[in-house]
Amino acid sequence: MFELTTTPIDSAALAARLAAPDAGAAVIFEGRVRNHHLGRPVTRLEYEAYDDLARIEGEAIVRETEQLYPGTHVLCVHRTGTLQIGEAAIWIGVASAHRSAGFAACRHVIEEIKRRLPIWKKEYHPDGAAEWVNCTAKAVAHPALAAYHARQSALPEVGPAGQARLAAARVLVVGVGGLGCPAALYLTGAGVGRLTLVDGGRVELSNLHRQILYTTAEVGAPKTLAAAARLRLHNPAVEIVTQEGELTATNARTLVAGQTVVLDCSDNFTTRFILHDACHALGVPLVQAAVHRFEGTLDVFRRGEGGCMHCLWTGRNAADLETADNCAGGPVFGPAVGVLGIMQAAEALKLLLSLESDAAHQTRLINLLDGSMLTIERAARPGCPVCSRIDQLPALPSATAVESSPLFLDAVQVTALGATAKIVFLVESADAGQPISYPAMQIVPGHALASVREFAAAGPVVLSCRYGLRSAAIARLLRSEGLPQVYALTGPPPANPSSV
Amino acid sequence: MSLPRQLHVRFFAVLREQAGCSALEIETAARTPAELYTELQKSHPLTFPATLLRVSLNERYADMTAPLAAGDRVVFIPPVAGG
Repeated sequence: MFELTTTPIDSAALAARLAAPDAGAAVIFEGRVRNHHLGRPVTRLEYEAYDDLARIEGEAIVRETEQLYPGTHVLCVHRTGTLQIGEAAIWIGVASAHRSAGFAACRHVIEEIKRRLPIWKKEYHPDGAAEWVNCTAKAVAHPALAAYHARQSALPEVGPAGQARLAAARVLVVGVGGLGCPAALYLTGAGVGRLTLVDGGRVELSNLHRQILYTTAEVGAPKTLAAAARLRLHNPAVEIVTQEGELTATNARTLVAGQTVVLDCSDNFTTRFILHDACHALGVPLVQAAVHRFEGTLDVFRRGEGGCMHCLWTGRNAADLETADNCAGGPVFGPAVGVLGIMQAAEALKLLLSLESDAAHQTRLINLLDGSMLTIERAARPGCPVCSRIDQLPALPSATAVESSPLFLDAVQVTALGATAKIVFLVESADAGQPISYPAMQIVPGHALASVREFAAAGPVVLSCRYGLRSAAIARLLRSEGLPQVYALTGPPPANPSSV
Repeated sequence: MSLPRQLHVRFFAVLREQAGCSALEIETAARTPAELYTELQKSHPLTFPATLLRVSLNERYADMTAPLAAGDRVVFIPPVAGG
C-alpha cells in the first residue's frame, strides 16, 4: 500500500501495521532530512507532489515490487510539505517470510521512488538561498554521473562523439537468460541510450549459475522486471524498457522498428528465425549467438553482407532444427554463455560506433573446453529466397519451406543412408586420446575442412563431434557451398558402434 | 495544421516558479507535448530545457511526442527528487 501524508510520519504505528504471523522478516527504511547537500549546509526541505500521479505511481511501484519479490508485503508512506532536519520524509516497510527478499524489495521501492515518483524537494540554506534539487543549472549542465563513461570515452575509437552515438542508440535484447544477462549488463555499462528487454520467462533457481543479473531473492519473478531493476542500479542514465512476453511473429516488427541494433539472446530456433526475418525486413543489424554446453556460435547479420540466416540454414525451418540443436533445458557451462553474451555486446557496440569488423560475413565458433576459436567465412547463397529478394521481403513467411533432405540425422537415419555413407568425427585437441572407433569412420581435425569437402563431393557424409555444435555448423556451411549430401549427427556418437 | 483544442496544463516545482502560475487553460494547435512546451516557452519564461522533462497525460507518464487530444490534462515533470 502507498500513501501520501502532510503530517509527521509515525514509525511505530506504521511498523505495527506491517505485523503478520507468517512474516519472519520486517525490513524498514526511513529517508530523513539531513543538514547538508553537495557540501552546502541545509536548514530545511520543502516537498511538493503532483498528488494524483504520485498516488498512482506509488501504488504501481508497490505492486511491481511485490511481483518482483514474491511473498513480500510492502507499505510505503511519503510526506510532503515543510520538513525540519532529522524528520522522516519517507517510510518503507517490507514484511516477508525471509530476509533476502525483504532487503531487496525495500531497496527496490526507494530506488523506483527516486526514479519516477513525481515529488520535488526544495533546499533552504542558512544564507536564505533556496533551490530545487536536481533542477539547478549546475545539476542540468553537469549530471552526477558525468565521470561514469570517462575510461571508455578516453578510447580514441570512442571519444565524446562515439559516446554521444551510444547515448542516442536504441538496442533490443531478445531473451534475458544466459546470453542476455551479460550482454545487457555490458551494454548498460557502455551507456546506450535505451535498452529494451523482451522475455516471457520467470527466474528459476537453475538459471542462477549463468544468468548473472539475478539472485536467489528474485526466484519466481518475471525476468524482465528483475533484469530492469538490476540494470537501472548499474547505470541510471540508461532508459530500460521491458516487454514481458515472448517475441512472436505478431509483435516482432513492432519491437524491431526504430532499433539501432538487435541482439538475439534467445534459446530456440523459432524465435531466431522470427527475429532474424524482422531485422532483415527492416534493415536493422542483428547480433546472434547460440550456446551448446561448452561451445557457442556468434553471427552478425547485416542486410546485404555475408548472407542471411536462411543462407546458413539452407531453407530449413525452425521445427526441423529445434529437435537437433536446441540448448533450452539442456546442460550448459556457465562461462560459455557468459563469453558469448559479452561478445554479442562487443559486436553490438562496434556496430554502434561504426568500428571495422569482419563479423558480418563470418561465423565464429568458440570452444571453451579446448580454448579454440574457429572462424568460418560466410557468403550469401546464390538464389537464397530471402537474400536475393529483399524487395519482396514483406510477403515472405518467417521461415521458408523445408528442403527435401534434412540436415540432422539420428543414428537410425544414418543407417538408412547405406554402407557408402562416410561418418566423420571432427576431433579437437581436448578429444586427443579419447578411444573412439567406428566402422567406416574417419577422424579429422576440426579445422581440416578440405578433407571433409573431398569426402562430401564423393558421397554422403555424416559429421559428428564431441558436443554436436561444431559438426552442425560445418555441415550447414558445406550445404551452403552446394554439397547436398552432408549431414550432422544429432547428439554425441553412440557408445556402441554397432548401432550406427 | 490541426484544429485548436482546449488543454488543462499544470506546473510543479521549478516550472511552477518559472511559469508564475500553477495551472492554466490553453487553446492550442500543438499536436504533441513537445510542441506544447515550445509554445508555452513563447508566452512564459520557462527556461528549463525540454530535453530533461518528462510528461504525464491524464495522470499517466507519456512520450513527449504522444498525440494530444482535447481536454487532456498535461503536466510537465522536471527531474524528480522524492525520498
